[in-house]
Amino acid sequence: MNQHNTSSAISVRGLWKVFGENPENIVGSTDASLPKAELLAKTGNTAAVRDISFDVAPGEVFVVMGLSGSGKSTLVRCLTRLIEPTAGSVLLNGEDILTASPTRLRELRKSAFSMVFQHFGLLPHRSVIDNIAYSLEINGMKKAERHKKAESVIELVGLQGYSQAYPEQLSGGMQQRVGLARALAVDPQVMFLDEPFSALDPLIRRDMQSEVIRLHKEVGKTMVFITHDLSEAMKLGDRIAIMRDGAIVQMGTPEELVAKPADSYVADFMRDISKSHVLTLKYLARPAGAGEDTSGLELPAETIILEASKVILESRRPVKVIENGKLLGIVSDQDILRLLAEETV
Amino acid sequence: MTVLLNNSFINRVWKIKSRYLILIIIGIWTPLALIFKGMANLELPTYQNTFATSAAGDAAASIRGNRTKSTAFIYFFNPIRAFINGFVELIRMLIATPAPNSIIPVLGWLGVIGVVAFIVFATSNLRTMLLAVSLLIGCGFLGMWTFTMDTIAMTLAAVILSLSIGIPLGVFAGLSDRVLKILTPFLDLAQILPTLVYLAPLALFFLIGAASATIATMVYSIPLSIRITAHAIRNLNQSPIEASTSMGATTRQTLTKVQLPMGKKMIVLGINQTVMAALSFVVIAALIAAPGLGKPIVNALTIRNVGNGFVAGLAVVFVAIMLDRSTSAAAKTKISFVPPTAQEIKRRRISLAIMGIITVLSVWLSRNVLWAAIWPKKLDVSNPISRFTNDANDWVVDNVRIITVTLKDFISNYLLNSIETLLAGSPWFITVAMIYVIALILGGRHVAILSLGLLLVIIACGLWYETMVTLTQTLVATLLTMIIGVILGVWIGRSERADKILRPFLDAGQTLPAFVYLVPMLGLFGPTRFTAIVTGIVYSIPVVVKIVGEGIRNVSSTMIEAATSAGSTAWQIITKVQIPAAKKSLLLATNQGLIFVLAVVVIGGFVGSGGLGYLVIVGSSKPELQGKGLIAGFSILLLGVMIDRIANASARKYGN
Repeated sequence: MNQHNTSSAISVRGLWKVFGENPENIVGSTDASLPKAELLAKTGNTAAVRDISFDVAPGEVFVVMGLSGSGKSTLVRCLTRLIEPTAGSVLLNGEDILTASPTRLRELRKSAFSMVFQHFGLLPHRSVIDNIAYSLEINGMKKAERHKKAESVIELVGLQGYSQAYPEQLSGGMQQRVGLARALAVDPQVMFLDEPFSALDPLIRRDMQSEVIRLHKEVGKTMVFITHDLSEAMKLGDRIAIMRDGAIVQMGTPEELVAKPADSYVADFMRDISKSHVLTLKYLARPAGAGEDTSGLELPAETIILEASKVILESRRPVKVIENGKLLGIVSDQDILRLLAEETV
Repeated sequence: MTVLLNNSFINRVWKIKSRYLILIIIGIWTPLALIFKGMANLELPTYQNTFATSAAGDAAASIRGNRTKSTAFIYFFNPIRAFINGFVELIRMLIATPAPNSIIPVLGWLGVIGVVAFIVFATSNLRTMLLAVSLLIGCGFLGMWTFTMDTIAMTLAAVILSLSIGIPLGVFAGLSDRVLKILTPFLDLAQILPTLVYLAPLALFFLIGAASATIATMVYSIPLSIRITAHAIRNLNQSPIEASTSMGATTRQTLTKVQLPMGKKMIVLGINQTVMAALSFVVIAALIAAPGLGKPIVNALTIRNVGNGFVAGLAVVFVAIMLDRSTSAAAKTKISFVPPTAQEIKRRRISLAIMGIITVLSVWLSRNVLWAAIWPKKLDVSNPISRFTNDANDWVVDNVRIITVTLKDFISNYLLNSIETLLAGSPWFITVAMIYVIALILGGRHVAILSLGLLLVIIACGLWYETMVTLTQTLVATLLTMIIGVILGVWIGRSERADKILRPFLDAGQTLPAFVYLVPMLGLFGPTRFTAIVTGIVYSIPVVVKIVGEGIRNVSSTMIEAATSAGSTAWQIITKVQIPAAKKSLLLATNQGLIFVLAVVVIGGFVGSGGLGYLVIVGSSKPELQGKGLIAGFSILLLGVMIDRIANASARKYGN
């Protein structure tokens, strides 16, 4: 993983963030592998981000999931240099962010990437439209032009009629729509979303998650989405990285995480996830046993089990699972029932 | 684990013991003080100079002699003085002193009232405007119009200059940790520096009069404005600021488009505080010949005419309320960033236009008609008020003599005299040793060594005895302040109603200059050190009550519920839960109380409290004692630093 993948939208290698005095002494030393408390006791430093590497493909939604204190918020701030990383490199469309001059960094922030914050970060003294147009304003865009642009984004996030309202007059969900609109206004290549829905009520959170899915379909931005909510991660992420104590414990598609948790920590997380909702037939497919009927229906391997279960349960014969035109194996009604029974325990 | 246990065990024993240790020390000290009473206590007659005071006197004389010769004066002090003097005179000419080629200021009284009405109406509301106008008219009726205008002009000049320095520095300190770190020691020092201390040195460099009074006022109010502005910038919601940075805004863009607009309310509040600090200082600056209401107060205090002092003091109270209300209304309105609707704006424009016409009319009248230019003599009721006050005061003094004299004698004989015997009566080396040990117990080794050093410097300066007299008065006044302050603080902390009743008095009390309190206290208790002590108590109670009340109120309600459900009585809850839990606030209140009391006790030198304050005041009027006055001021500073450091260290030690 040492070579950067230049075709990625984002490519991160060996990223470190150590707080405390002389942080650079920690990176690469033997202390670096100490657990958090021991490191703090020994050196007075805290390693919030430890040797992180990953790639995000263009148009992908990459979710970083972890509990509070796992370093996920620090990580996302290191990617945009709101916090200066201690070591490592971050490539955005092939350009190294960490060596960019302050001027170049501001240019990138103005156009290449944008961020959505947990506590919205709206300017209380500005109306919705002026909040959305803020980044265009500091870009030096004329008022009429930036308002026109902002109006179009207002429509995109469903805030029609609220352009003259002030943040304090809006509900939390509406405020975060403004936050989304503001991030979209500059038409960035990458959006960073730092726990954008954690401060919202559960029902509104669900609406907003659907909203992000819809926006992603419409505008197709590359997204790095930070969350502590596993179901949110499962719902939104093309791939998920699970963080613990500053390091990535496991990275993969939702299916991979559920099917093959890397350790007991991840497995513990996945316990409450209904496998049938996440896994595809590929997970259940097995070679036909002796005397089993193999003349049943054919289903693609990437079908979610829950969606396939009705067909399989109604069919009198096991279903054949096909991947790339080849037979992967079969799934019988017994297999489905066993899985569902496991989930309900 | 065992080490931890042992440490906390030792700490606990030490904590319990320290209380008794102090009692033991006083137990040793008392017989020593009685045996050696009056020996080696370094008491000097007022008119005798020491080595240090004569040296300071010579230095002062040489500074005076160099005013027209030395380059420091020609290129530094004199130009500053000329600039500030010009600025102050310009503002005074607008409202107080005759304009060139005229016998009246640019604005006569009616014009001033019109302009003030317009400004207050525009920045706050109709009610505040009516209040401001009535208070100004009240000052006129008190026969204090010109003095009032001088005070307002001086305050205005000092505030404009202070803010133009304080707000930018405050913004810097708000943005940069390094700037804050550099400024903090100065800000801290300014906070503990009693006002009386820097009048004489400033007068030495800038002469007496409006310019040096303005500079002294600035020294007093700039730190406040820096502190509040920096606080306003630092305590903003960080989320929008981070968002602004993440969108590629420069530091400057984030400051002007995000931080300043969001912190505006708080910065306006800082202006209010700066105005009130400047006002209280401008009044005291009468001691170095500042024009304004302080003058008649000083005169009245000197000839002990309570009635005259009361009239001028009342005018100060009016000005204080007016300035406070009109500068705080803008900050106190509901915190909302939503601008008014178009209709509201239209309505407001119409009312402003009407007010504008009235203002222009009143300005025109005040410049063309005599009755509107100079406050009519017929409308001056100061004499009857002054006479009535004197009569009332005589009646009170005659009839409540039993109470006032008993109180005065009781506290003087028992508290003051016994502590003074210990501090000022003992041989100096015994007192120094005892203070060293007490500082050691209260604050630890560092503070004890610092205190020892400061005390030795004071001894070397030759004003040891006076310093101990002042320390005695400060300690007694603070002790009484804390007793009353904690009772009232607990009361307002526990009862919403008590808070509602007391809050206006506390707010008003905090805005008044200390000088004003001297007048009624002088009337009641005569020219004694007790007057200074009572004034100190009255002046510092509001801040102590507020801090204690806040501390009591912030004790978690769960803790109180738990204690209540365990069957505690109200008394048990106060003594066993609320006061121990609010210990930090109590220590903070004590620290503040000490500093406030010290500042007032030294001003009490004016009404016969003796000690260092008296020397400062005598020094400013008698050339041969000028050196002694300067050194007395310096000793007050050292005493203040010592008290503050000990209080601070013990708050750190016992606060958790």
